[in-house]
Amino acid sequence: MSAMSILVGQEQGNVPVTVLKIEGDIDAGTYKALQDKASEVIEAGAANILLDLGQVEYMGSAGFRAIHAIANMLNTEGEEGMYRSRHVKLLNPRGEVARVIKTLGFDSFLEIHDDRAAAIASF
Amino acid sequence: MNRPDAARGRARDPRLSPAQKARILRDCSFLGTAEDGVLEALVEVTVTREVAVDETVVSKGEPGTSMYFIASGTVRVHDGDAVLAQLGPGEVFGEMAVLDADVRSASVTAESPVLLLALERDDLWRVVSSRPESLKTIIAAVLQRERGIVRDVTERTRQVLAFEKEMEIGRRIQADFLPEAVPQADGWDIAAHFEAARVVAGDFYDVFELKPSHHLAIVIGDVCDKGVGAALFMTLFRSLIRATSLSGFLKRGAGLADGDSAEQVRQVLLDSVETTNRYVATTHSRSSMFASVFFGVLDPAGGDLLYINAGHESPMIFGPGGRHEVLEVTGGVVGLFPFARFGVAATRLQPGDLMFAYTDGVNEAKNEVGGQFTEQGILDAAAAGQADSDSFLGQVLKGVHAFRGAAPQSDDITMLAVRRIFY
Repeated sequence: MSAMSILVGQEQGNVPVTVLKIEGDIDAGTYKALQDKASEVIEAGAANILLDLGQVEYMGSAGFRAIHAIANMLNTEGEEGMYRSRHVKLLNPRGEVARVIKTLGFDSFLEIHDDRAAAIASF
Repeated sequence: MNRPDAARGRARDPRLSPAQKARILRDCSFLGTAEDGVLEALVEVTVTREVAVDETVVSKGEPGTSMYFIASGTVRVHDGDAVLAQLGPGEVFGEMAVLDADVRSASVTAESPVLLLALERDDLWRVVSSRPESLKTIIAAVLQRERGIVRDVTERTRQVLAFEKEMEIGRRIQADFLPEAVPQADGWDIAAHFEAARVVAGDFYDVFELKPSHHLAIVIGDVCDKGVGAALFMTLFRSLIRATSLSGFLKRGAGLADGDSAEQVRQVLLDSVETTNRYVATTHSRSSMFASVFFGVLDPAGGDLLYINAGHESPMIFGPGGRHEVLEVTGGVVGLFPFARFGVAATRLQPGDLMFAYTDGVNEAKNEVGGQFTEQGILDAAAAGQADSDSFLGQVLKGVHAFRGAAPQSDDITMLAVRRIFY
C-alpha cells in the first residue's frame, strides 16, 4: 500500500494561492485523498491551487484523473473550454512523473513551473 | 458465590435484579425453548457488561471464552470494513468460539451504548452438566442459527451468480466491440491478441477497411482505470473513432482516388481524433476519463502509414537488417481537454517490416518482486525474428508469461502485429 501526504500552504501573490505539497505516490490508492483535500480547500474558499509535485515519485492514471477533476472544480462559468487552466498549475514534476505528464499531454493544458515564487506570481 | 474471575467481578451489576436478567434471557431467541430451570441457572452465572459506542467486544482471530446476550443497544458483526450483520436486543453473539473453543470468527463492535449479559464457557458447561436437558436448548439454538446462515449464504450465492451472469453478458457485448476477425489486405499479414485482466476491459483494438477506399484503419487504445467504468468508455472511444473515420472516408470517397490522398487521409485522421476528443471531453467532462490511442491509416498498396499517437505506448517497427523504428507520440491523451491538438506523423512499412503496437499491460507486466517487463522485454522477444504476425505475438506473449511467473495479470494485454509480406 502506497503512502501519500499533503501539506497545505497559503501564499499571497497577485491573488491568494493555495499550495498543496504532495509527498509520496499518487495512484489508485491515494488519488481520492488528493481530490478530497482539494475539494476541502476549494470549499473553504481557495480559487487558485498550485500542486507541488517535487516529492512525488510516481503518478498513475488515477492521479492524472484527479488533477483533471481538480482543474474542472475551479473552472468558472464559461471556462470549461479554456485551453489552459488559469486556476490549477503544477510545480516541479520530476523524472518519470515529468515524462508521463508530457506523454499524456498535460503539459499543454496546465502550466508547469520549476520556481515556486514565479509559480505563485503567475496566478 | 465468590469466584476469582476478573470479568465477573467487574461486570456484576447490582442494577439488574435476577428477575430483570431472567427477562432478558427469556427474550433471547437463542434460549426460546429453554426450561425455567435452565434459565434460573443461567441468571445465576451471567454477568452484565456495559459497552461504550465503538468499543470492540470480540476481535476476529482472538481466543474467546465468553458469549453474549444483548439486553439493549446494537452491535455490528464485521470483518474489517465489511459488515456481516447488525444485531440488537434479544440476539446473541460469541457463541461459536464458546462452543468449539476455536478463535473468534468475526469481530463485534458496539454501534450504540450496549448492555450485555456475558456467559463464560466454564459456567455454560457447568449448567449443561447439571441439567442435561439444557443441551437440547443449545443444540436447537445453534441449529436455528445454522439454518439462518445457510439461508443467507444461499441468497448471497444467488445474488453473486446473478451478478456474474450480468458481467458475462457485459463481457460478450464488449467482445462485439472488437473485430470478430482481423481483415487482411493483399501482401499483408495482420494479427491481434487481447487478454482482459478482469471480466471486462478498458483496452481495445480495431482494424477495418475505410471504404470506399482501400485504406486500412489500425487502432489500439487503452482507457484509464479498469473494470466496468473503463469498459463503458472503451465502447464509446472505439465507436466514435470508427464512426468518425468511416464517415470521413465516405464523404471524401472521390477525392481519395486522386493524387493528394495523403492530405485527405491526414484530414480524416485529425477530424476523427479531434472530434472524439472534443465529444468525450465536453459531454463526459465530469468523469475525467481518458484514453491513450494510436490510430494509423495504412495504404496497403505502397505501405505508407499516417498516424496519430495520442499519448500511447510507441509502436515499434522491426525490419530486415536489424531495422528498428519507434513511432513517436504526436499528441496528448483523448477525452480530457476539449481543445487538445494532435499531430499526424508518417512512416512507411517496407516489405519484411513488422509493426508491433501494444498496451501497457505488456511493457508494465509485473513479476512477483514488482519488476516490469519493459520495452527491453519486447526487444528481447522480438530478437528471435518472426515467421508471421501470429507467431510474433506468440513470442512476445511467451516472454511476458515467463517474466510474470506466478504473479497475477495486473492489466489488460492488447497487441497488434502488422507485417508487410516479403516477396
